[in-house]
Amino acid sequence: MSIDYFSVGRVVEYLPAMLRKLPVTLAVAFSSTALGLVLATLIAAALLFRVPALYQVIKVFISFSRAIPINIQLFVYYYGLPALLAPYLLPLGLNPSRANPIYFVVATYAISSSAFMAVMLSASISGVDPGQSEAALSIGMTGGQMFRRVIGPQAFQIALPEMGNVIVTNLKNTSLAFTVGVIDMVGATRAIATRTHHALEGYVGNALVYFVICLLLEKAFGLLERRYRLRKG
Amino acid sequence: MITLSNIHKSFGRNHVLKGIDLTIRDGEAFVIIGASGSGKTTLLRAINFLERADQGEISIGGVSVSAKRATKKQVLDIRRRTAMVFQNYNLFRNRTAIRNVAEGLVIVQKVGEKEALERAAELMAQVGLSDKLDAYPSQLSGGQQQRVAIARALALRPEVILFDEPTSALDPELVGEVLGVMREVARMGITMILVTHEMSFARDIASQIVFIDDGVIVEQGAPIEIFRDAKEERTRQFLRRIMPEFTYHI
Repeated sequence: MSIDYFSVGRVVEYLPAMLRKLPVTLAVAFSSTALGLVLATLIAAALLFRVPALYQVIKVFISFSRAIPINIQLFVYYYGLPALLAPYLLPLGLNPSRANPIYFVVATYAISSSAFMAVMLSASISGVDPGQSEAALSIGMTGGQMFRRVIGPQAFQIALPEMGNVIVTNLKNTSLAFTVGVIDMVGATRAIATRTHHALEGYVGNALVYFVICLLLEKAFGLLERRYRLRKG
Repeated sequence: MITLSNIHKSFGRNHVLKGIDLTIRDGEAFVIIGASGSGKTTLLRAINFLERADQGEISIGGVSVSAKRATKKQVLDIRRRTAMVFQNYNLFRNRTAIRNVAEGLVIVQKVGEKEALERAAELMAQVGLSDKLDAYPSQLSGGQQQRVAIARALALRPEVILFDEPTSALDPELVGEVLGVMREVARMGITMILVTHEMSFARDIASQIVFIDDGVIVEQGAPIEIFRDAKEERTRQFLRRIMPEFTYHI
């Protein structure tokens, strides 16, 4: 009997079942990035305006998010958030322990990547030379006009490449969502492996899908960067 | 008319401006000279609130505000009566030259896009850059950038243009073109307040020169009074240091 480790046929065979769960993977990646960006904007504003007490808290939070492996963060939030929120939610008839784990995954990645993005945003904004802000003010622009017309667009150019990296990181981190019971693409692959006793094909298929999506993202950000660089001249 | 009265400004313990009083009449080319660290740039920046003075009164075209207590709205009002040309040009790097000039018209003065661009093109012609309308700042030389910056200031038709050492960052061979444009601005009768180290230029175009040292006005007068027979020893010393030939040739 020949040893049957791998067959391309099975990669193709398993792919549709995995791809059916791809939307979950993408939803986690994009919603956590979007939510993270909202959080990051608030944090970056606090950093830039040096809001006194908040500033210290955020510094600690940022080093927390940077230092702790993402799967540990995931477990901490997955087990920690329900305990933290239960006193407020239970009276409303909501049991956070029974909530769909996907919310915790999105929350974890949003919170975790918000730290990176906050640093990125505030660095990009401080990266625009202050002389231009003074010029904007000197011609009578308000703070808001200055941000919209001068600082914002240039900070965006600076932040764009890093933004691409954050999305790719969040996308790859979704592969850990199964550890708290989310059935995404990886979750589906594990189910197939258990059922058929063929693991390799599923993971090879997974690798291909991640690879293609990352490639597409890279391409998209490359185009964006070129477009905005051109406008700078 | 612009009047500054009793302007004081400190940075921490460093008392930079120690009670400056100045009156600048309309159409005047008012030049401020003084050594580095004498407070002349700070004084200029206090006028449009890029530095907020600690004490004193600033009045431009009949609007008078307290430096210390001016509200956001008053600051904006003062800034909209002035324009500034910076040492490092400070063009908006994400906009083309003509857009830099039109920006204030469109965004601040709410002039229509088409009219703003027409006016900007005229001004670009005036500073001799009709062929650079669509160039980005990074594609222009320092002298060209500074001429765009002057056009940007002119576009707003301010009551006064503040020039903060506009040629100090330029390569020597580019200074002439910028001074040429500034001479033109002076000839147009636009009120200008100029901080500069270009003494011969100051002598040429200034209607009034004020010499500042250590945060106080030492001496003020027409160019000929300052350069030929300064009354104060401090002024004479400064001029000897910065332009030795003056003391011998005149």
